[in-house]
Amino acid sequence: MSETPQATKDCTEARAALEEYLHHELCAEDAADVRAHLAECEECSAEHHVGEMLTAALQGACKDRAPEELRAKLLESLRAAKASHA
Amino acid sequence: MAGTTVMAPTATLDSPAMDEQRDEAKRDDFVEQAMQYADQLYAAAMRMTRNPADAADLVQETLLKAYAAYDSFQQGTNLRAWLYRIQTNTYINTYRKQQRRPFEAPLDDLEEWQIGDAESFTAMSSRSAEAEAIHRMPSGIVKDALQQVPVDFRMAVYWVDVEGLSYAETAEVMETPVGTVMSRLHRGRKLLRGLLADYAREQGIAVQDTIVKEKKP
Repeated sequence: MSETPQATKDCTEARAALEEYLHHELCAEDAADVRAHLAECEECSAEHHVGEMLTAALQGACKDRAPEELRAKLLESLRAAKASHA
Repeated sequence: MAGTTVMAPTATLDSPAMDEQRDEAKRDDFVEQAMQYADQLYAAAMRMTRNPADAADLVQETLLKAYAAYDSFQQGTNLRAWLYRIQTNTYINTYRKQQRRPFEAPLDDLEEWQIGDAESFTAMSSRSAEAEAIHRMPSGIVKDALQQVPVDFRMAVYWVDVEGLSYAETAEVMETPVGTVMSRLHRGRKLLRGLLADYAREQGIAVQDTIVKEKKP
């Protein structure tokens, strides 16, 4: 990577916006700026890829399902609440 | 939404009996809708309480509170976020008090250097090696690492990265400004990267000799 002051500034700005970019929180214009920088900067692109992998790993790790007995208990207690309400 | 057919055409023609009927239909509708979120509420409760028994109790308490408060729910707004907010409040008001961990809240004020800097972890090896290590990480390890992150940071990460809530929705759920959500999220993710990098190093994944040289005192 070239170490020109402009390149450093671009990297700093992109890094600061990377998390919002990852989470689709940037406006279209800012997102386009980050996307353009990522296309030409290997370092920032690699940093972004780490962020993507982290999100994917978290999504894969948090797939808990409510146990059947809990579902039954929930329905039962909601019915009881309804009965006492009526 | 097609499910919101309980609305009467005009309010003026309603008799008390019709009110009652509509109220009942609305409550049936709630049970049906809320049960669709049982898995998601349970997963969030597991992140909060970190054990199945408390998580089950928390979900039950959340749904009962939501049921009782359903009149105050604005139809057409985000039911999922509304349920999450009730669950967050219930957790804070009961479980968190029981656990007596008064030191978690001030974490928002920690300085960056106290949190540790993900960039320095990354400098230990290449970023592509880090990405690869995270990609290969067993999901049990990722889950354990997330559970080690302080609860406010952990939940910000959970709502945004796992549940896909927007920053604004997360701010609503956590009843904090969006800026606080962003800071919690950033710190939570940093901590996670650090924990996962530690694990990868212990496992000998992507460990290079340069680590020692680059490690600052």
